[in-house]
Amino acid sequence: MPDSRAATVEFDHVTKRYDRAPEAEGTPGAVEDLSLAVPAGRICVLVGPSGCGKTTSLRVVNRLIDPTRGRVLIDGVDVASRDLVELRRGIGYVIQQVGLFPHQTIGENVATVPRLLGWPAGRRRERAEELLTLVGLDPAAYRDRYPAELSGGERQRVGVARALAADPPILLMDEPFGAVDPIVRERLQNELLRLQETLAKTILFVTHDIDEAIKMGDLVAVMATGGHLLQYGPPAEILARPASPFVAQFVGTDRGLKRLSLARVAELPLRPAITARPGDPAGPARERILADPFPYLLLVDDLDRPIGWLDQRTLPAEGALTAASAIPMSPLFDRRTTLKDALSMLLDADVQAGVLVDRDRRTRGIVTAGMVADWFRANAGGELAVTVGAMDRSAAAAVRA
Amino acid sequence: MIDWGWLADHVPALLYRTGQHLYLAAIAVAVGLAISLALGVLAARHRRLVPPFTFVADLVYTIPSIALFAALVVVVGLSVLTAEVPLVLYTLVILFRNVVAGFDAVPPDVRDAADAMSYSGTARLVRVELPLAVPLIAAGVRVAAVSTIGLVTISALLGDAFGGLGFFIFEGARRGFATEIYAGAIPTILLALAADRLFVRVQAWLTPWERRAQAEVVPG
Repeated sequence: MPDSRAATVEFDHVTKRYDRAPEAEGTPGAVEDLSLAVPAGRICVLVGPSGCGKTTSLRVVNRLIDPTRGRVLIDGVDVASRDLVELRRGIGYVIQQVGLFPHQTIGENVATVPRLLGWPAGRRRERAEELLTLVGLDPAAYRDRYPAELSGGERQRVGVARALAADPPILLMDEPFGAVDPIVRERLQNELLRLQETLAKTILFVTHDIDEAIKMGDLVAVMATGGHLLQYGPPAEILARPASPFVAQFVGTDRGLKRLSLARVAELPLRPAITARPGDPAGPARERILADPFPYLLLVDDLDRPIGWLDQRTLPAEGALTAASAIPMSPLFDRRTTLKDALSMLLDADVQAGVLVDRDRRTRGIVTAGMVADWFRANAGGELAVTVGAMDRSAAAAVRA
Repeated sequence: MIDWGWLADHVPALLYRTGQHLYLAAIAVAVGLAISLALGVLAARHRRLVPPFTFVADLVYTIPSIALFAALVVVVGLSVLTAEVPLVLYTLVILFRNVVAGFDAVPPDVRDAADAMSYSGTARLVRVELPLAVPLIAAGVRVAAVSTIGLVTISALLGDAFGGLGFFIFEGARRGFATEIYAGAIPTILLALAADRLFVRVQAWLTPWERRAQAEVVPG
């Protein structure tokens, strides 16, 4: 098995020019003097409009395209000097159309690279099952089916499993979630981030969607038509300090709001919930919740797992608490839920609070829309205000002129 | 109308001619397929070869079969080659086009993925492109088999040693004996129909993924 340790990827003045004019949709974009370094184990997102050379840049890494000038280094070694077969077996590749082999079963598809590496059949099958489980597909149900029998989202999971089959240190992903509907995309994004926590691959990820870039990237490279790199840095920095008007325009005027998708619930101050269990005496519980500014008592089970909310106004003064009158559970968050997701779920919920739970669904605290708003004012609001102010001034200037 | 007595007397000859018919047709289709695959693989690697190959194949197809058989007798004399060369040439028109179309039908993203997973050119051809070209190639073989079974009858022109069931058609026509014409023509038609059904089956058997894809509609 190839070395599973993540590798660094470095573009060293990479230029790719095409003789013909890059007019038609789908023609690869040129790349102009691209230099950037991706540290091992991080996700670097190349983002930009179509024709900006982001796909070309990706394909230079596994040498599906040879650069006109410049080099790509993996762990300091020029890819051009590596054996092509050995190089490609160490790089997983996931594309938007997935590119599964229609004539092979899902199990065979996933085990493609292990087969090329000459693994015995038993080990291949084991690995395929392990990977299908990893990407959330039941091996027993999927192993013997053909790609045409799967939905787009399922196919893309298989594509990811196939890319991971030989445990390559590097993954190249070209708009991997571009062809699935927004709900499935969201889920696949979250799963990839969850996988990456344990896999810690070096991932180069191409997208034209700035929101996806901000969500997925440890580092984001904004590229412009003609293959120029405009800015490279952590997403928070791109949002806070766009390097040029083009970048500012590309990330959008709502970049203050976008920063919500970078912050996680873990960054909010922990606010303990006022909890009680079914069967507890109502009187003392009522006193405790009346003393708290948040007007709902959280009913939890014996293991502190949330059951539902009890409104302080309808709490009886005596007797025992029951789950019957509880308002059904509002959103559950974990420490990794983004503030953007948290806020959007909170705005939909009956009770304007969600419960922060740990891995075992035990209650850790509550999160309210107000807490998210406070965080926003303290962290992102200032810049948004500046942006809005600047827009007001330019609008005023335009009116005067 | 039909001389049953003649038929009863000629059962061995009918069987022999049916066997010969199948033999001549099978060789022609097999050799035609082998040549088409070789040319098709070449053309898939060098696209600019497709138009000249297609042009030559089309040109051959415009030559009347009777003329071609007659011309070959002059050139190579009388042998099984004299019958097979025209039959093979006619299959090329159908088979070469279908082989090329078959390779063209391989989705570019599948090729791309195969390359990225370190398939060599030959492995990609054998394990990925060829299986995916099978539906169109098999469809070509089917049409070629049916048309060749018809054409074999013409090779009776070369003499009594050739023609398969066509021998009866020509002899019957010469003698003005309808039963013998039917005895050649009807089995020929049945053979063609049988070949058509057979290759539909073969294609389905070779491409289980296509059947399953049609049989099942999976909700998103």
